[in-house]
Amino acid sequence: MTELVQKEILLNGTQAVAYAAMYADVDVTAAYPIRPYTEVMDTISKLIADGQLDAEFIVAEGEHGQFEIVKHASLTGARTLVGTSGVGWLYGMEAIVVTATDRAPVVAVIGNRALDDPGAYGVEHNDALMVRDVGWLLVWVDTAQEAFDTALIAYRVGEDSRVLMPVGVSMDGGFLTHSEQIVRLPPRELVKDFLPAYNRGKYLVHPDNPISVAPQVNEDWVSEIRRQHDEGMERARTVISEAYESFKKVFGRYPGTTRDIKMFENPFVEPYMTDDAEVILVGMGTVSKPIKVAINKMREQGIKVGMLRIRWFRPFPTQEVMKYLSGAKVVCVVDRDYSLGSPFRGGVVYHEVRSSLYDLDERPKILSFIGGLGGREITVQDAEKVIKIGLEARDTPITRHTYWINVRGDPW
Amino acid sequence: MAHGEDVKYVEITYRGIFQKRLAKYIAEGLVYMAREMGRSAVSFGRYGDSPERNGVPAKYYVALGSLNEEELIGYSTRVEPETVDVIVVLDDTLLKGVESWAWQGVQPINLKLKEGGAMIVTSTRNLEELVKVTPAKEFRWDMGRINVEKSFSGLWAFKDDMTMERVWGAIAKMRPDIVDLEHVRTYVKEHKKDRVNERLSAVEEAYETLVVKSMAPKEGAEFKYSPPRLLTWQEMMEGAAVPAVPRGGRNEQFKRGTTKTERPTVDFDTCIKCKLCWVYCPDECFDETKDGYYDIAYDYCVGCGICADVCPVKNCIVMVNEGRFKDYRRPYEMWKEDKVAYKSWLKQVREGGVKERVVVPGLGR
Repeated sequence: MTELVQKEILLNGTQAVAYAAMYADVDVTAAYPIRPYTEVMDTISKLIADGQLDAEFIVAEGEHGQFEIVKHASLTGARTLVGTSGVGWLYGMEAIVVTATDRAPVVAVIGNRALDDPGAYGVEHNDALMVRDVGWLLVWVDTAQEAFDTALIAYRVGEDSRVLMPVGVSMDGGFLTHSEQIVRLPPRELVKDFLPAYNRGKYLVHPDNPISVAPQVNEDWVSEIRRQHDEGMERARTVISEAYESFKKVFGRYPGTTRDIKMFENPFVEPYMTDDAEVILVGMGTVSKPIKVAINKMREQGIKVGMLRIRWFRPFPTQEVMKYLSGAKVVCVVDRDYSLGSPFRGGVVYHEVRSSLYDLDERPKILSFIGGLGGREITVQDAEKVIKIGLEARDTPITRHTYWINVRGDPW
Repeated sequence: MAHGEDVKYVEITYRGIFQKRLAKYIAEGLVYMAREMGRSAVSFGRYGDSPERNGVPAKYYVALGSLNEEELIGYSTRVEPETVDVIVVLDDTLLKGVESWAWQGVQPINLKLKEGGAMIVTSTRNLEELVKVTPAKEFRWDMGRINVEKSFSGLWAFKDDMTMERVWGAIAKMRPDIVDLEHVRTYVKEHKKDRVNERLSAVEEAYETLVVKSMAPKEGAEFKYSPPRLLTWQEMMEGAAVPAVPRGGRNEQFKRGTTKTERPTVDFDTCIKCKLCWVYCPDECFDETKDGYYDIAYDYCVGCGICADVCPVKNCIVMVNEGRFKDYRRPYEMWKEDKVAYKSWLKQVREGGVKERVVVPGLGR
């Protein structure tokens, strides 16, 4: 196959998305600083200043304004990029929620950050997960290459007339947003083949197309609107699959693939040595990296262990989760988030996975691991320990559902 | 397949915001060079808020190795590596200890250096002087000095004074297994095209003139460090509450004194006890003594210099380069002990250690 690479450059996760937005030729971006998202806007503003991108760069007065700007711009047919982190994401929540309801395919970078207090800058997934139930598509990336590729895919999927929904591209604060890796950039002209112009069709807000979006209707329309939205979410599954196939065809490699890293070809999940695995770890984001190293080490000792990394969290990959986890004896879900007061006191992903497995005839045991909150690291050794606990649970009845990784004062 | 031991780390310690870009560009170059040498390499900042704060010690890392890139990232998805092979120190006043994050306490600069590792300092002071303040290790290691002024350039701007090229040249000299001279040259030629000859000369000069000292076990300053014990969840107050430091006390676990590159010196003989230094000090470093003078807790002084700015007596409070001081002894104690000796000591540390300060309008200077 011809090498369809223009060049390889060193970028961190936030820069990679900004470059993708340049390749996607965004029209409007709204910015308001908050670590770890900030470098997205820094990079975009530099690309605009250097004449590499022609776009409106609007500095908002806060996140609420920031998301209102892109929502309205998007409804008038502009391709937009926006983003934030942690409590900034929550501050913009009113605008963020209606962005989904109004079906504006905004692409937002969420540099995952702990929800204060205390002021913490490190990763925790509870910020992005706040929108899991309101009609945003959510995808987690775990390398700079995947960030670049997935941002392009996000425009393609969100803007598809069968979907028309905002997409949150989530990445771990610090471990990806501020960590530089080599990214393969494709020739810019090829992007047009992959990413058609954004066309809202009859939903375009324009004087020549007089429509009103989100008028006051009191209680009467809401149920139907939710039901339609649900169909759109379901159609997104097909559109996502098509987008990944098309990406491979146009750029000559599967999204996320670099010269050194090969990607399993499934848009929704990345199974790693799951085929014969008795213990399978599940997680989202950069935690997959130390986990894979731990798996490689265990495999050398003949221990049958694997991982399932969830990429798209909304729509949730129910079928894939059932398929890849059905053969396991024990499933260990490593959450970088927590659901306070939830059944068995577990993490958010744990509950989604547990629910997905309920219909299986033979269900694996399932354990919840909470770790890395607020930016604390999860090391290879920690991953090895999770595997060890999983192996013990294979042979003994479950007495404990949830383990907190490296919390001072808890047995670990 | 080998694990872990195949990963080498370079740590770049710098002062927040002033040197952030410098550190990042040094790291970036090393990643490209290592890849040209056939290895995987990635870089990452020691993530937190500190890199964006004036003068706060902050860190950047490069990981490189013969592992495939995915495994390398697996080992490097860390806040900090456990050990490092090379430490680059971009300001010699950092040798006395770094505290970037309150919960770690003041750490020795070479805490994570491996046995046989290399530390490279940018400094115009001679190596013997630097050794006196550099923490000793239990094993042998190498210290190199590049003869340049610390590269400070003000907020967010990047002052391209080729410190970057000098650092690469020095690493090539001390640790060609990280990057060799040939690859530094090639990288500079291909990636830094403006003033390329000057840059290449900077690389060569650092390579040729680098002063290296082999540090014997226990050679250097004594530095006692143990990480503070942090509270368990059962011990903490609930709701992110923290008990206040008792009135008149200071937070023993958070001494921001390592942030400073200059410290205020006081001539108590000319002090008029006007109290302005005490009033203005944003970090409350001044303690009123029984006889009405103002003593300084250097552990907590960040070196902002406002005391020197507001002091109405000429040459009473004067900012002096931090590198001239061995310890954090309080000046008032020294003065009380022996006033004559203090006076001559003061004269000695001020000589050549004082820089013209920017005049702050409206403060009567």
